Amino acid sequence: MSDLIKIYGGSVYDPANGIHGEVRDLWIEGGKIVAQASDPSAPVNRTIDASGMVVMPGGIDMHCHIAGPKVNVARKMRPEEKRRAERVKRTAITHSGTMGSVPSTFATGYKYAGLGYTTAFDAAIPPLAARHAHEEFEDTPCLDKGFYVLMGNNHYLMKAIKDNEPQKLKAFVAWLLGSAKGFAPKLVNPGGVEVWKQKQAGNVHGIDSMVDHFDVTPRQIISQVSQAAEALRLPHPVHIHCNNLGMPGNWETTLESMKALEGRRGHITHIQFHSYGGGDGDENTFNSKVVPLAAYVNSHPNVTVDVGQVLFGETTSMTGDGPLGYFLSNVYGKKWFSGDTEMESGCGITPIKYKNKSLVHALQWAIGLEWYLLVEDPWRVVMSTDHPNGASFLAYPQIIRYLMDRTYRQDVLKTCHPLVGKRSTLADIDREYTLSEIAIITRAGPAKILGLKNKGHLGPGADADITVYTPHENKEIMFEMPRLVIKAGRVIVEEGEMRESPVGKTLYVAPEYDLELEPDIQDWFEKYYSIRWRNYPVDLSYMHDPEVVGMRS
Amino acid sequence: MPLTLTYQAETSVPVEIEGLTPTWARGKTLAQIGQFEIFHGNERLPLAEMFSLGGSADDLRFDFHGDLTGVHWIGAEMADGEVHIHGPGGRHIGSQMSGGTIHVHGDARGWVGAEMQGGFIHVHGSAGHLVGAAYRGSEKGMTGGTILVDGHVGNEVGLTMRRGMIAVGGRAGDMLGFNMIAGTVLVFGECGIRPGAGMRRGTLGLFGPNPPAILPSFRFACTARPQVLPVMFNELRRQGFTIDDELLTAECDVFNGDLVALGRGEILVRSAAAM
Repeated sequence: MSDLIKIYGGSVYDPANGIHGEVRDLWIEGGKIVAQASDPSAPVNRTIDASGMVVMPGGIDMHCHIAGPKVNVARKMRPEEKRRAERVKRTAITHSGTMGSVPSTFATGYKYAGLGYTTAFDAAIPPLAARHAHEEFEDTPCLDKGFYVLMGNNHYLMKAIKDNEPQKLKAFVAWLLGSAKGFAPKLVNPGGVEVWKQKQAGNVHGIDSMVDHFDVTPRQIISQVSQAAEALRLPHPVHIHCNNLGMPGNWETTLESMKALEGRRGHITHIQFHSYGGGDGDENTFNSKVVPLAAYVNSHPNVTVDVGQVLFGETTSMTGDGPLGYFLSNVYGKKWFSGDTEMESGCGITPIKYKNKSLVHALQWAIGLEWYLLVEDPWRVVMSTDHPNGASFLAYPQIIRYLMDRTYRQDVLKTCHPLVGKRSTLADIDREYTLSEIAIITRAGPAKILGLKNKGHLGPGADADITVYTPHENKEIMFEMPRLVIKAGRVIVEEGEMRESPVGKTLYVAPEYDLELEPDIQDWFEKYYSIRWRNYPVDLSYMHDPEVVGMRS
Repeated sequence: MPLTLTYQAETSVPVEIEGLTPTWARGKTLAQIGQFEIFHGNERLPLAEMFSLGGSADDLRFDFHGDLTGVHWIGAEMADGEVHIHGPGGRHIGSQMSGGTIHVHGDARGWVGAEMQGGFIHVHGSAGHLVGAAYRGSEKGMTGGTILVDGHVGNEVGLTMRRGMIAVGGRAGDMLGFNMIAGTVLVFGECGIRPGAGMRRGTLGLFGPNPPAILPSFRFACTARPQVLPVMFNELRRQGFTIDDELLTAECDVFNGDLVALGRGEILVRSAAAM
């Protein structure tokens, strides 16, 4: 029999169950929230007095980069940053680690837990490297984890689209997710990475540009993968990193990408990087286009977004968008890594620094905040920094303060480049988030978007992932050090001190598909891949505590 | 009165004393200084277990005695004061220092003044590889200050340095000023192969005999008698560095490069006719 825990007297924020700050008691048994103890006579193992505290579900980061080959390369290519960074020292229950913009595996888990986050999804894993990601997950404690599988530039996928074979496409998407033990399809610069891999400085430059050799367009890739995902009833149908990331004038591509979904569910990620007006790479024309894009999101409930907030400081850009990595390395003149993963994907990594006196960087910061504040329904906008691309996940408390304190927001805006106020609407926005809305964009919303029925809420049957905060006028202080963090019914952090370090579950999907189509995939695979067919799928033995997330009904 | 630190240990395992600076020690008693935590391999020890201490740190001066070949990071990160090493020293002497003075009255090993930001280091013997260099992964090596080495130095001296002066009285190894961003490196002895490879700006001066072949990505500019050289040489002499009188009027062949990089650097090679 597992521990029975009672948390009483706290102000509970559980927006998924319509609870907005009411004082409630919570019961935990067997790692789950329960309405009451199964055996009323059983002794309560621990009673937690949360009087005066704020109680929320554990945080969920639905878009970050914490595992796999790109993250590991970034760790290795930034020794100079790690030398200067805080050192994570070994304790009786925790490993040592390194920080910097790309923390080491164990440190990543500890720091997420220290913020009250208990679930995180890596956003870009090439399926060929899935095994590596799973192994790193086992060294990233305190979190339930999953990853999205890169497939927007996959050769088989594009060929199936070109040949107008939706059944093959559907089977391939399902087979690939199941082989990698991944969670959702990820499209990164669909088609563009393949063009980059084919020729020097290549890319697609619009959603209707043709991908050389495959004769498909990004619009077709988005549309048809979203159709396949819908047919498979995936919990998180498709996670889209649009074409033209970071380019002035890219907002039109983003708008067209949303339209390419044709009413089907889809998630546009780090949308801040895709909301720019202007043209021809001219900084003088760079401006925010959040208003028209947010208007589209507000009127189309099939579209959800996460922000990819930029915060000022040094970080490391890592992306499956190979041409973007090349572009950034030219802009910043820093060291650069470029990867090419066989039939599947690309990768670019380079250090970057966001400066508040830079017009472009300050506009990026303002555009991110505009997104939070202009999407009317908080259930469809999710907090993210695209860790570490816009900033570290450790900046989440700072973002919360920006959203809950307009005076602070406006004060920081005054320190930025003076044109930011004219080229964005941030100075004119008075909205302040409530604690319930913060709970939505950091927990309940991402759980709903991801189709995680047991996460993001505190109703009976939910995983007992709970964070207890001490209220403070300064919301950054309140959210940067929770009073208590509970993971699967175990207290793992108390006032910044680690108490336990569980490994956490791996969340993945296992969609069914037409097995008769598998030989076609195998023929293609054996013709081109560098490894054997039977060695490709990740075996369950590589996964610690795996949990299959069911399809949507 | 200086603080004297006499090394008494006999070990082949590296000893690291990073962070022991005159500024840190000032105002502390010998007992407090003796508790400073150092590394012996992966073992943490108090300073007093390996050094006997005497004098006082109040004058911001350290005097190290003994064979310190295996003691690393002496004077690293110091911002003020004086460090005298009476005998051979280990690696990373004066690493990342921002001010103050270090004299090594003997030889030093690699990484002397690596990523140094300011201050003055004078090695009265020879030094190892990577003097004034960038650590692996860093964008910039030395960004200020002066390093004088009376004897010889190893390879990759001035790697990616951004500013400052390195002067070498003896031989220099290969890849002098490799990927140098700016600054000055002067060598008065022989020099190894491929000086200035990848340099963007900055000046290399090769004044010794048998200069190496200049890379084909450098372009010969002219033969000249740069007026800046006597100014620099006199300043180096004032700092205690020995330079022959005849060099004050020496002619140099000037090469511009490296054209595989920005190409705004120069290598001054003492003209054969002048030797």
